[in-house]
Amino acid sequence: MAFKTRFYSLFVPHRDMGLQLLALYLLLIIPVLIAIFIFDQVAGQQIQLEVKASDLSLARAIAKEADYRILSALESVRALSEYQVVRIADRQGMETVFSIFSTTRADINLVYRLDVRGFMFYHYPVGPGSTVGTDFSFRNYFTAAQDSNTPLISEGRISPTTNQAVATAVMPIRNKDGKFDGVVATNIRLESLSATLREILAEHTPEEGFEIFIIDHVGQVIAHPVSARLLIHVEDMMPGLSQPALRGVSESKTMADPSGKLYLATYAPVPSAGWSVIIRRPEQAAFSQQILYHRISLGAIGTFTVIGLMFWLVLSRRVIYPLEKLAGISRKIGENEPIEPLDRKFLERASRRLDQMGKLITSLLRMERSIAERMHEQAVLLETSQAVVSSLDSQVVLNRILEQVERLMKVEKVALVALDEKSGVFRVRASRGLSSNYTGQMTIQPDEPLSVTMRAIRVGEPVQVSDTETDPTFSAQRPRARAENYRSLLAVPLKTQYTPPSALLVYRPDPHEYSENEIKLVASFANHATMAIENAALFTRSDMRLTEQTRRIEALIQSMQDGLILGDLRGNVVYANRRISELAALTPGELRGTPVTRVMARILSRAGDHDPARARVESALYEKNPAQVEFVVTMGGHNIALRLQTFDVNDTRGVSIGQGLILQDVTTDREVDRMKSSLISTVSHELRTPLAAIKGYATTLLADDVEWDRNSQREFLQIISSESDRLSELVNNLLDLSRIEAGSLKLQYTECDVTELVTHAARRGHLQPSNQFNMQIAPDIATIWADQLRMETILRNLIENAVKYAGNDAKIWVRVVRSGGNVVFRVIDNGPGITAEKSLLIFQPFHRLDESLSRASSGAGLGLAISQGFVRAHGGDIWVEPSESGACFAFSIPIKAD
Amino acid sequence: MNTLPTVLVVDDERPLRDFVRRNLDVRGFHTLTAANGMEALAAFETQHIDLVILDIMMPHLDGLETTRRIRQTSTVPIIILTALGEEEDKIKAFDLGADDYLTKPFGIGELLGRIKAVLRRARWAETVPDQETIARGEIVADLVRHQVMVRGALIDLTPTEFNLLVYLMKNTGKVLPHRMILQHVWGPEYGGEAEYLRVYMGKLRQKVEQDPLHPRYIQTERGVGYRFDG
Repeated sequence: MAFKTRFYSLFVPHRDMGLQLLALYLLLIIPVLIAIFIFDQVAGQQIQLEVKASDLSLARAIAKEADYRILSALESVRALSEYQVVRIADRQGMETVFSIFSTTRADINLVYRLDVRGFMFYHYPVGPGSTVGTDFSFRNYFTAAQDSNTPLISEGRISPTTNQAVATAVMPIRNKDGKFDGVVATNIRLESLSATLREILAEHTPEEGFEIFIIDHVGQVIAHPVSARLLIHVEDMMPGLSQPALRGVSESKTMADPSGKLYLATYAPVPSAGWSVIIRRPEQAAFSQQILYHRISLGAIGTFTVIGLMFWLVLSRRVIYPLEKLAGISRKIGENEPIEPLDRKFLERASRRLDQMGKLITSLLRMERSIAERMHEQAVLLETSQAVVSSLDSQVVLNRILEQVERLMKVEKVALVALDEKSGVFRVRASRGLSSNYTGQMTIQPDEPLSVTMRAIRVGEPVQVSDTETDPTFSAQRPRARAENYRSLLAVPLKTQYTPPSALLVYRPDPHEYSENEIKLVASFANHATMAIENAALFTRSDMRLTEQTRRIEALIQSMQDGLILGDLRGNVVYANRRISELAALTPGELRGTPVTRVMARILSRAGDHDPARARVESALYEKNPAQVEFVVTMGGHNIALRLQTFDVNDTRGVSIGQGLILQDVTTDREVDRMKSSLISTVSHELRTPLAAIKGYATTLLADDVEWDRNSQREFLQIISSESDRLSELVNNLLDLSRIEAGSLKLQYTECDVTELVTHAARRGHLQPSNQFNMQIAPDIATIWADQLRMETILRNLIENAVKYAGNDAKIWVRVVRSGGNVVFRVIDNGPGITAEKSLLIFQPFHRLDESLSRASSGAGLGLAISQGFVRAHGGDIWVEPSESGACFAFSIPIKAD
Repeated sequence: MNTLPTVLVVDDERPLRDFVRRNLDVRGFHTLTAANGMEALAAFETQHIDLVILDIMMPHLDGLETTRRIRQTSTVPIIILTALGEEEDKIKAFDLGADDYLTKPFGIGELLGRIKAVLRRARWAETVPDQETIARGEIVADLVRHQVMVRGALIDLTPTEFNLLVYLMKNTGKVLPHRMILQHVWGPEYGGEAEYLRVYMGKLRQKVEQDPLHPRYIQTERGVGYRFDG
């Protein structure tokens, strides 16, 4: 396709309209010209042929005539030769014969008889200049006749006898034995041929330029309308003609005379004499018609060319040039380039034309103006949208938008009215050119029926008052309009979504009907204003949300029990939370920018063994990889186990932006760890104590070196047995404890006698003989619905505990009272008591009040935990009651109605 | 010493206390008992005691504290009894000056063996030696007075520590395997208690070496035993 186009364009430069038109013109005109040319050629040839043919036929006709004459002359002389009188040369006889002959033949002016020697014997008429006796034997024809038996004709010559141009027809005369005996001859008056020619010539106009003549076989002109030309050699008249003309054929030929003038020469032979009839005429005259036609053709071609030229000229001046110009200008308009003054002048001139071109240019100019206007509008709109995004301060943006409206609409008063959500009325949010009095006082109720603004907002379409003075709906506001000096008003509603409804108002001092375009323009400003307002509102909202979120995260981090430090790449604190402040005893302000190592050093200064800890911490800080170090610090008299974790802080691209440190309070974890190992050692201790007694007595009995008496043996075995029971109970307690921990303890509820419960518990509570035990049970509590064995264990553990801690001489009380829906048991001793702090921890499994004490009190750790588990399993609670001296453990069991 | 050795048995668990007392009584020891550390200290102050058997876990002053207090005034041999079989507890006990250690439960034979060995070591310390002093480097041991001078200063050593140091000094330059040291210093019943050595060697280094972390005299032959370099 491309190739085709290129190929095509090679021949038809269709990009240039002028050339295209020229090509079209040539396409139309060339066949016409060719036709004319062909016609010219063909017609010319035809005319030539016709001319030649007519000349030829004329020549032939003349030749025939001449031939006839000669033949008749020859026949005459032959006939004469037959005459006896002629043969014998009888003068008298010959006179008769010859006179008769002469009268019949007007063209013959002399008949004569030459004798055998060639002497004139007789001639008729006998004229004054008689040549009788004159020797004519020198004559060619005489010589020729001597050898001939037939008549022959001589060349043209001037007869000496008649003094006229003649040609002689000669007949040899032979006697009986055929011997030559002179000739009889007649002189044919060539004048008569010439007269014939003259007659023929008279039929043609002199303009035709005909010249007809006859030449004899030697080339002399023997007949010519002009006598003076007779006997002139034809070569003198037309060189080179004699030879073809005497060849014996008839044809036409263009030849030049000695002066160079061109002639059409036509010749036809006269066969009897070997002569030739020649018609010649100047070519111009001969071909005058052809030349005429030719001229007409040339004229036509010339005319076409000139017309074409004129047409093209006019076309290019009037159409193509303006079109090209227009194309250039419209390109400039399209590309928003300025139009040069010359072009501008051209446009103005051309636009005055009344034809289509004029109209085209006029509309182009109109288009240019409207494009320029649009461009201007677009530029202003673009500026406006740039203004919208240039600032997030909606007031700034709105002012800028109003400024643009002012500029583009060429007005001086514009305002943006928006709903004030607090007061519920519409107020001016931004304005230009309006008096502060007007903007300050303007409040519009949303339901005001006649307000232009409200109508626009309600309908969602622009509303205009083209003349405030005549618009009936505006009568109420008219005084205000007069005061503010405006006559027309346009209100365009803003299509807000997230912000209160608003409208853009444009005021004009003159009555003005806003066109659809103008309204559209204002509407697009209104859209920009909407965008600005909403952008700002959304930004404010998202900013608030971000702030809120940041604050929440900040609060979260600040409230963390763990310390958090973010250090920058130089190792200075960027952020640290409250816990770090507390640990390092630095205010947040002091923390910021302080080297992380210094902060850590301050924290480490609280560590007891601070030297090794510091070394470990420092190596963790300098370590690139995340590290973990644990150390213990003392704060407010408490030991706090801290675990320092360092980690790389990377941004979203994975590039390190600093180091993070978390100081985790692992005191509880360590406590749990400690408790776990404590559990093991406690259990181990609890189990080993009875085991030690069992093994001890068993090995005592087994020892070979001592023989024990029977009583001792029994005693030892008794101890082994009771210690085994103790061991078994211990294992049961441990199992119960694990059930409590797992929540799978099942109680066996029975009706229990409270007094019996306490008595049994006290009996099994390792009361020492020196202990004093008191039991006080409220009278209204005889029985309780509970698991008897578990209740006994609870009480026994508490009593045992009291014995252990209060010592062998302690006094122990058990009091049971009803309190609300519960039965409350209290086990009180007069021992050292329990501090308030420890009373909270005491029920944790394996918690030991005092390392030394607890170690001394076997089962103490487990006992309370088991008691608590059993109490809770009953749905009750256990606690330590503050007491002035000694300890008071209390627990409640809900009274269950059956 | 031809008189019966007096043994103080301290335990808060009466069955155990009775078991030890009755076994010692029947084997010719003079036995005193106490139920806790306080009672034990009271008995120690008022009577001549040749050996203390102490339970660690007792109310009101436990065995370790009791050991510490006894060691402030006396080098009397102390055997610790405990239900906790943990290394840490043993080391703590040795650190505080205990001579031996028994984990509950134990058989009577075991206890008697330990008692005899401890008393024997105590007695060695009292016998008259072949030579009066041994000097190695800056350490001079007076075998008669049971005193050791290090860099001219007198240092405090328990009988077991003294015996161990003298045994090492007498075998200067030799590599002494754990078992050999234990059997020579503690007695033939011993042999597997390598941790005793670790504790005692540590204590000796603290007392005689200038830099205990880089000892000059008491060298550890890892996995084998120890060597004393003069």
